[in-house]
Amino acid sequence: MNSSDAIQTENLVKTFPGGVEAVRDVSLSVREGEIYGFLGPNGAGKTTTVSMLTTLLRPTRGRASVAGLDVVEHPREVRQEIGLVFQDSTADGELTGRENMELSGGLFGMTPAECRPRIAELLKRMDLVDAADRRVKGYSGGMKRRLELAVAMVHTPKILFLDEPTIGLDPQGRAGFWRYIQQLRQEQRVTIFMTTHYLDEVENLCDRIAIIDHGQIIATGTNDSLKERVGGDVVELRVPANAADISATLTSVPGVGEVSRDGTLYHVRCPRAEGVVSLLVRACDASGVAVEGVSVERPSLDRVFLALTGKAYREEGYDDGRASQASVFRGRGRGGR
Amino acid sequence: MFLPLRSLLKREYLRWVRAPTWIIAGLLTPILYLLLFGQAFNLGKLVPPDPRAQAGLSAALLGAPNYFSYFAVGMVGMVAVTSALFAGTGVIFDKQLGILQRTIATPVRRSTIFASSLIFRGLLVVLPIFIVLGLALAFAQIPGLAGLTVTQNLGAVGLIEVLVAIFVLAIAFTSLFLAFGFLFARVESYFAVVNLLNLPILFTSNALYPYGTSPTWLQNITAYNPISLAVNVMRENFFGGAYYPHPAYVYLGGLVLWAAALGVMALLLASRALRTK
Ligand SMILES: Nc1ncnc2c1ncn2[C@@H]1O[C@H](COP(=O)(O)OP(=O)(O)OP(=O)(O)O)[C@@H](O)[C@H]1O
Ligand SMILES: [Mg+2]
Repeated sequence: MNSSDAIQTENLVKTFPGGVEAVRDVSLSVREGEIYGFLGPNGAGKTTTVSMLTTLLRPTRGRASVAGLDVVEHPREVRQEIGLVFQDSTADGELTGRENMELSGGLFGMTPAECRPRIAELLKRMDLVDAADRRVKGYSGGMKRRLELAVAMVHTPKILFLDEPTIGLDPQGRAGFWRYIQQLRQEQRVTIFMTTHYLDEVENLCDRIAIIDHGQIIATGTNDSLKERVGGDVVELRVPANAADISATLTSVPGVGEVSRDGTLYHVRCPRAEGVVSLLVRACDASGVAVEGVSVERPSLDRVFLALTGKAYREEGYDDGRASQASVFRGRGRGGR
Repeated sequence: MFLPLRSLLKREYLRWVRAPTWIIAGLLTPILYLLLFGQAFNLGKLVPPDPRAQAGLSAALLGAPNYFSYFAVGMVGMVAVTSALFAGTGVIFDKQLGILQRTIATPVRRSTIFASSLIFRGLLVVLPIFIVLGLALAFAQIPGLAGLTVTQNLGAVGLIEVLVAIFVLAIAFTSLFLAFGFLFARVESYFAVVNLLNLPILFTSNALYPYGTSPTWLQNITAYNPISLAVNVMRENFFGGAYYPHPAYVYLGGLVLWAAALGVMALLLASRALRTK
């Protein structure tokens, strides 16, 4: 509990008419300047939480304050301080990118003269200068997402909410989008609260992460601390079938946890694969074992999630023991519960 | 308050000027009505040309010198309804596209959102009305065409009454249909209800026919129909009040009450739709 927290919630609850308990009990705090990742499967309650924090939904119970302001008591003041990128694009396709940004500025009470330099700067930042005066309906998916970000930033918000901002982008587009986010954070000193399905996506971006499921936070921590709970990365080294056993050598490499051999494959667990991979390959070389292939498996949200909730799932009868990672998430889409 | 309103109006305007089909069709419809119905249904031709019969016709048309003059004023009411029919569609699309959600997430006041819709959609109703009136007056100057002939000296008060009637009528119907836009989530539901209302509203008015011939119960409804009220204000000022039981300002008062009631209804439904749930 800290008054300088950008976002703070206490036992936040949202029950929709009809009894859907979308958010059951969420307490979290996001520090100023931080990028906070909010992870969870479909229907976990991410959008509902964001909607309450952004004054679009009224909490059933509990409290939330954003930029030091209570979201229920001072909704207009909260809105003035935040920027919002929705899960679905909300720019007006009949307007140009620039016009959409001007509209947003005007809605936040900025005069055209105040908007102009700010818009020019953001268009440049988001690589949208050439497209600025084209209608948004002709934009590519990636351009639309960048425009959403630019629109959300026109009034220089203190806190930016991104609800699955990379949905529908290919891996390249996603990587690109994250670069823009990082740039924004560096240049504009903005606090970012973002939701996503993908742990790998937030891994290099978020300072802290909360995992939500069934409307409850089941874990919070830094990227590393969460990964450690499921044993971190796994490096797989493929060696010839007749190679000598070098498990002991591999275990002694700095940064390596557990090592196991499975035929021609070594599974090497380590909190972070970066830097360790090359040391492992060199250790193999030094022992006279030729490495035929290397792959790194990062802990996915599925694995972190299963590790944290495995039991709960079976109790609820989703699957019994055969719970493949994919099936945990399938069949639980919107309205599935 | 002014900057957000201006921004919302500008957006509406940009969307409008970029949809040429909408503009052309919207402005062409009233002109076609005027040319086709107005010139074709010249009831005056059914009446023998002797002065007594013509005087009887003028009485049936409540003082209008010919059927076209009577009809052209009625067209104002008809155009008000048919142009306002679309007033609520923008809100529904904005809901579906998430644009309304984005707007609500800004500090703009809910009443400003409502006001911007009402003002812009209202202007889209007023515009074709003035085109109709202008054309009808112009027709009277063209030989061989039936046109709107104003037989009275309007004066400043009369002119103001007519203008106020036009704007208030536009506000009334824009509010009505805008209210349905805020109420419904789907265009299908919207047009189902709008189509249901559209013809009864038109045909229980005296816009197109003098209602002297209809049954009493219908005459009672007709008397209170907002189109009738607006049209009465205009016809009394254009053609004289001899056939009307009340002076024009009485009808104008009734029309203002309608607009106020419908406006309040629309505002309530809008604030319900824009409220944080
Ligand atoms: N307006 C609503 N009325 C009733 N139930 C709702 C409403 N909005 C969401 N829900 C339900 O609340 C739960 C949480 O939904 P929410 O959209 O917050 O999930 P999410 O984590 O954002 O999922 P996704 O990853 O699919 O976007 C779901 O079960 C959903 O069906
Ligand atoms: Mg969501």
